[in-house]
Amino acid sequence: MSAIITLSLLAILVLYLGLFKARRALLPVSLLGLVATVVLYGVQWGKTAEPLYSGMVLFDHFAVVFSVVCVILTILVLLLSKDYFDKSSPHVAEYYALLLFSLTGAVLVVSFHNLAMLFIGIEIMSVALYILAGIRKKDFASNEAALKYFLMGAYSTGFLLFGIALLYGASGSFDLAAIKEYVVSNPQGISPLFYAGILLLIVSLAFKLGAAPFHFWTPDVYDGSPILITIFMATVVKTAAIAGFLRLFYFCFIPLQDFWVPVLLVMTIITLFVGNLTAIVQQSVKRMLAYSSISHAGYLLFAIVAIGATSANSVLFYVTAYSLSTIIGFGSLILVKRATGSEHFEAFNGLAKKNPYLSLAIAIAMLSLAGIPLTAGFVGKFMMFSGVLADYQVLLVVLAVINAAMGIFYYFRVIVAMYFKPLDRDAIVVSGPYRVVFFLAALITLLLGVYPAWLTGLI
Amino acid sequence: MITLTHFLIVGACLFSIGLYAVMARRNAIMVLVGIELMINAAVLNLVAFGRYDSEHYGGQAFALFAIVLAAASVAVALAIILNVYRHYKTINPEDINHLKD
Amino acid sequence: MSVFYFVAFLSIFFALMTIFTKNPVHSVLYLVITFFTFTVHYILLNAQFLAVVNFIVYMGAIMVLFLFVLMLLNLNKDTEPLKSNLVKFMGVIAGMCLLVTLAASFRLLQISDPVVLKNPDIGLVSNLGKVLFSDFLLPFEISSILLLTAMVGAVLLAKNDPKKV
Repeated sequence: MSAIITLSLLAILVLYLGLFKARRALLPVSLLGLVATVVLYGVQWGKTAEPLYSGMVLFDHFAVVFSVVCVILTILVLLLSKDYFDKSSPHVAEYYALLLFSLTGAVLVVSFHNLAMLFIGIEIMSVALYILAGIRKKDFASNEAALKYFLMGAYSTGFLLFGIALLYGASGSFDLAAIKEYVVSNPQGISPLFYAGILLLIVSLAFKLGAAPFHFWTPDVYDGSPILITIFMATVVKTAAIAGFLRLFYFCFIPLQDFWVPVLLVMTIITLFVGNLTAIVQQSVKRMLAYSSISHAGYLLFAIVAIGATSANSVLFYVTAYSLSTIIGFGSLILVKRATGSEHFEAFNGLAKKNPYLSLAIAIAMLSLAGIPLTAGFVGKFMMFSGVLADYQVLLVVLAVINAAMGIFYYFRVIVAMYFKPLDRDAIVVSGPYRVVFFLAALITLLLGVYPAWLTGLI
Repeated sequence: MITLTHFLIVGACLFSIGLYAVMARRNAIMVLVGIELMINAAVLNLVAFGRYDSEHYGGQAFALFAIVLAAASVAVALAIILNVYRHYKTINPEDINHLKD
Repeated sequence: MSVFYFVAFLSIFFALMTIFTKNPVHSVLYLVITFFTFTVHYILLNAQFLAVVNFIVYMGAIMVLFLFVLMLLNLNKDTEPLKSNLVKFMGVIAGMCLLVTLAASFRLLQISDPVVLKNPDIGLVSNLGKVLFSDFLLPFEISSILLLTAMVGAVLLAKNDPKKV
């Protein structure tokens, strides 16, 4: 709990720093606060978790691990933000504050123990992001992204609220323990309201996660938003959404597996194919990464289709691998766009000659996203597939392997452009923080690929 | 005799009307109106169910949060719509499509 | 009892008017009436405080905001009817499917005892306040973050940037 309080106070402190024009202090203070949050979570580790505040939040291992992942990803995003915002507007402090507010929402989403907290967490996370998507006020794309994100987000909030109302009507409580109690104690007499509620919740959480058939906003919003905000959406928000999804279903709905697993199974297959098939035909790297993030949402859903004790671990591993690579992918896109003004594959031509280290980091990220052995992405995919295989969903694994092959095709286009398409170009200047982020992300990706046990035993 | 079901059916009707308004998307304000209808239908359901939760009053408390939070997000939405209008001179979502494949 | 049927009819009627009127300003005005019928529903359901909140927040604040923006954008003219019939058709289908499913599941509902006052004090502000500050204390405090976020964001977006920084 102290971590959440620290986060919200930190955001308010940042707002005040902006008021007193202490612009240079913004980034160090934010980073320091986030590190303090991680430490506070670390102190909490290992203690027996009790639901706090009349069962509103529960900081079990699941919550702590995913919160720490969210906070660390935000630290990496903030490092990339050095001199990113300065050019666009004078209100830098507000941007940092909004990012921190959004992070607070994400942390609530992964540690909720009551549907009220889920609802409020999702709302805080999303409202801050609607604004952040539209902060380039003079840019057409940014405005359009904000409008689309808001309309779809509010729409899904409607579904979420109605779904929660139906669950409440059937079980008489918002508390996860009480809902579970209701499901376990009436195996025959589950009210039809409860089933309708589960369906509506699936719809709304799939919206947030960007899974088909509710994915259509994703490419436009990821494309139109400022790249830094896109990184935040594609990593932290996705992590929080899948963790919240898993938490709700793992706590409450496992006895009703026969009802909702077929629904999710169909959604997963559609998500994989939609994401990969459209990613292949993209000409812009930003849109390619946006569509590929849809397909990764599909892989993440595997863990919920094969829900069980190992699901949390596979999701943790997959989401870490995916997020680190995504940070490198989009982060290098910031640099390339700054240098060439273009987001197309051609903008990466000949990069390997002039920036060998940057290209190496990008190559590692793309290999990890494609799921090539010795990277974290491979281990993540392996854990997902073996989880599903244990449930005898052989067809799903076959389809997923076909999709992974399609993924290799479009991720390799970036690598081919960098290494095999010669072009005379100037070297891109990679500033200090970017080097640190890329180095760390690439290093962790490789280390996790070789020693996966470091992360798998955590939950 | 008025039962819980009566209230729920009113809620379901309004939810579906709101859903239609969102799907038909004539302009961004009308989409927002549809969303407001959906949220209100959900709130009505929460209050109706809250009648059966006589110990905790959870339904009404949650309904209060839903109303307040919806109000907050409407303020943000209208600010976004104002910004969009400044650039595109229209708020019809069908015409706001610079981003596509 | 007849009050309920009358109000329910009004709710649905005005909600339909809201989405089928061509002029956005009229449509928002119909929405105000729809929200007023909700207030009556809340009173029928014995949620007095919620009725007041709904009256003030929705009919007062939100609707004024809507109208204000409509006037600011000068949208007081008819919007042209929808171009594609396909989308309209899909909208109708989706809405109807949902309606049928929900209505069917409500019909099957076991608890159909009449709405009687089990505890007539349920919706009074003192009881609701006790719940808010005991069971729902954390969400109550956390929602302040949301309000702050929305305030910062709305100001940030709506404010005009100075020409040269």
